[in-house]
Amino acid sequence: MREPTASWKLLILAALLPILILITIDIAIGGGSHPESFKRFGNAILTSYVVMGILLLGNLFFYADSRHRPFSPLVGMIVAIAFGVAISYILVSNDDLLLEANSGVRAQMLSNIVHLLVSGTAMLLAALLAVGTTFAAITGRKRRVLFEEEE
Amino acid sequence: MRPLFSGDGITKTPNQPTECKITGDVHKSGCRRQVMDSMLEAAIWFWIPLCMIPLGMWLSISGISKKPGLILSLIGFFLVLISAWTVPSSDSSAAGHLLLSILAPSLLLAYGIHGMVFGGNVPVGKLDSTARWSGAIAVAISIIILCLMHWYNFTPLWRDGQINPYWIVFWPTFLLFSTALCSTAAIALAGFGDNRGSEAMKLALLSVLMLGIAISAMLFDGYLTTADEFREYLWLASADIFGTFVGAGSAIGAFALVIWSYEKSLPAPGNSPPPSDDEIKHVVALANTHIGGEEE
Repeated sequence: MREPTASWKLLILAALLPILILITIDIAIGGGSHPESFKRFGNAILTSYVVMGILLLGNLFFYADSRHRPFSPLVGMIVAIAFGVAISYILVSNDDLLLEANSGVRAQMLSNIVHLLVSGTAMLLAALLAVGTTFAAITGRKRRVLFEEEE
Repeated sequence: MRPLFSGDGITKTPNQPTECKITGDVHKSGCRRQVMDSMLEAAIWFWIPLCMIPLGMWLSISGISKKPGLILSLIGFFLVLISAWTVPSSDSSAAGHLLLSILAPSLLLAYGIHGMVFGGNVPVGKLDSTARWSGAIAVAISIIILCLMHWYNFTPLWRDGQINPYWIVFWPTFLLFSTALCSTAAIALAGFGDNRGSEAMKLALLSVLMLGIAISAMLFDGYLTTADEFREYLWLASADIFGTFVGAGSAIGAFALVIWSYEKSLPAPGNSPPPSDDEIKHVVALANTHIGGEEE
């Protein structure tokens, strides 16, 4: 066995590099600035925080089972989610800060959830392709004989 | 082109007053009723079924009710898929319509990946070696279908023959994320694996292929979308991916903080008292029943 040559930094760079290449090409062919993407970034952060928080809240029930159902972690997580919802509401309703091409706060919040559903599906499908191909590449190699006794 | 969301009520252009405000007080109650009806329809035919999917999965995974949970999820998923017909007035139904449009290539992709993985050297569930080839062809066809949905007339159409607004959200996100993940997997295989150069090369080629498709979409117009629109949505897709990861990471951090603070507040467990004579006798009696027997 040789020493691993990859590191977390290299993996993060490998993940970012294709995205940076595409963005560089866009800038090179005169893409200009995209101020809407900052709004999208903010909305994506807040929506995924709240939705992930709700999913983890469901997970707390398993934890509660092993701890004689304590109340405080449940309340703590509900407060954390409520904080996310409140921040979302304040930022979306604050003039033009996070409001995209939607009619109001409620419309923006519903739009964010639907947007997360679509982009989450895209990411899930991409993960299926990448992880599946990785496993296919690993299992595709012919079986090597490590010890003579195996034959 | 951008998905205009009217909050599952009346469609409007951005920064314009709502229809109710324009029509004045005379028709206010009727207008409100119309909005309420469309909201109720959207809730019944889209939002409640959407909530049924994670709820059913949670019930199924937790073991509270495995089969009913699974059925609940499937019914919810089915209702979301057909929401473009059950509640056509809702803007949210565009997402259900998109999921239905990409269902066939997604299933083909999953079938192909399954064949490619289990057609190889796996200890359990091994398929016939031809499954690798059929799987690879299925994956290739599914990617070609997705490309045809962008460049040919397979593009998902929603209201009045217009392009589904979420297609241009899905497509760049899929391309960006798959090229990034394949690139990461290639480096991970080459760096952490032992003599995995050829496998890493295959993944790197797939990453380059997805990158090539993305660059082509940036340069050449699609069937109903322009290259300019794609480039704009590429930025939004990047923002979406980073934002989703940062938000999900923050939620996991908050969850860890809540658990950690609760565990920290618990008093240290005290030492249990030594066993009584009766308990010792009981243990010895139990041990005696298990000791002995004939030597092999």
